[in-house]
Amino acid sequence: MRLRHVTYSLLFALIFLAFAQTTFAQALDISSGGQPTITGAVGGSVTGSALVTNDLVVTINFGEVSPLNTNSIVKVVVPIALRSNQPYQVAVSMSGLNNANTQAVQASDVGFGIQNMQLLGGAGQICNQSTHLIRSPFNNDPAITATVGSNGRVSYQSSLGNLSGSTIILSGPVLSKNNSIKRQQSDGYTFDAIFTLTPQFFASGISSATLIFTISAGPNVPC
Amino acid sequence: MPRSKTINLIFLTMLLMVSAVTCFGQSTTGTVSMSATVSKFVEINSGGSVTLTGNSGGGVTTDGVANSPLAVSINLGELGPSNTNSFVTASVPLKLRSNAAYVLSMSATVTSSGTSASKIGAADVGFGLGTVSRTGLGVNAGADTNATSGDPTLAANGSVNGTTGRYEFTAVRSNLNAFSSSTTALSGPIIMNAVPRSNTNGLTVPAMFAVKPQFFENGTTTISVTFTVTAP
Repeated sequence: MRLRHVTYSLLFALIFLAFAQTTFAQALDISSGGQPTITGAVGGSVTGSALVTNDLVVTINFGEVSPLNTNSIVKVVVPIALRSNQPYQVAVSMSGLNNANTQAVQASDVGFGIQNMQLLGGAGQICNQSTHLIRSPFNNDPAITATVGSNGRVSYQSSLGNLSGSTIILSGPVLSKNNSIKRQQSDGYTFDAIFTLTPQFFASGISSATLIFTISAGPNVPC
Repeated sequence: MPRSKTINLIFLTMLLMVSAVTCFGQSTTGTVSMSATVSKFVEINSGGSVTLTGNSGGGVTTDGVANSPLAVSINLGELGPSNTNSFVTASVPLKLRSNAAYVLSMSATVTSSGTSASKIGAADVGFGLGTVSRTGLGVNAGADTNATSGDPTLAANGSVNGTTGRYEFTAVRSNLNAFSSSTTALSGPIIMNAVPRSNTNGLTVPAMFAVKPQFFENGTTTISVTFTVTAP
């Protein structure tokens, strides 16, 4: 008798949980937006899933960025997919890249920009009353906006140096048409996160950083 | 409760648990990890045109071109007494760049067709590094250590041997005999700040060679010098 009660209670709880997950399907989702690519690298690589239904887990190795790399710039493009049934915002936080030597690679030496906001697989919610807003100063391709500063060092319109705590880089209206509990191949948006590093006479060493992209409920803008 | 019903309930429970877990397939976060490597880098190039003075005949066969690989060829001309100049000198500008502390070493060979002690030898070829210059955008300030005695024609760096009458370069590392094997000529801290390779500035220093025309045994002499820069 007791076992039956326990079993039915557990069964009910799980049914409720599954029902709740179905009814209140997670409204916000971030995932891989496609295969990341890298150009201009010497000994570098980028790994990540080409499937938009997989989690966003990307590892970038810029490779050699001393003058031994004679390419003008190392550029990495990371497509990221977003889905939501409500207004959203995307924030990025960074850890690492805290070299004490100012001549070593700094956060400001890694260009970071957002481009190519577009429908995921050609489908997603099209809103006419609000736009998807790439927050300043990130709306650029850092490979194009790279310039040599007054100190001779390459700088960008936007870089990882522009990240302070959890920094909002993108926001907008609802992204998806349905409330599917599963990631759809074509119901949302994708954008390209572009990272660049120009080979320079940096102080020798290995530098690393980790970025966390987070999607959350954003400003309540109409669709 | 019958055992079969219990088993069915357990299977159903497991199925729902799997289903529930599947429902969590979406995520609100994603990670991008990145790394980059900066290896030690050093290079030596020509710092510009060679200056040849005091020569009688001869000339610069292959001149230096700034920021190009160093490959200079010089004909010092006549080094016998018919050349009445006090010295034949060649100044070869060098340009060094690095993202780390560096050491510039040099090795030299001197071969002469002569057979007697009066032939031109390594000790008859004066050598020294001139003033080191770290100027220009992106060049790091720093103190370099010149292991040579500088301009070999300076009075302090050589004189006529009172016993043999032969002119000798006597100061520390002031002639090529001191560089019969790879020997440090210059060293110092990091040369370049974090600037792209397209920035052509760097550390420049003239490599100065000198020969005092004397009653050397007649013949031809070939002097070969190799500079090597490393980041220890």
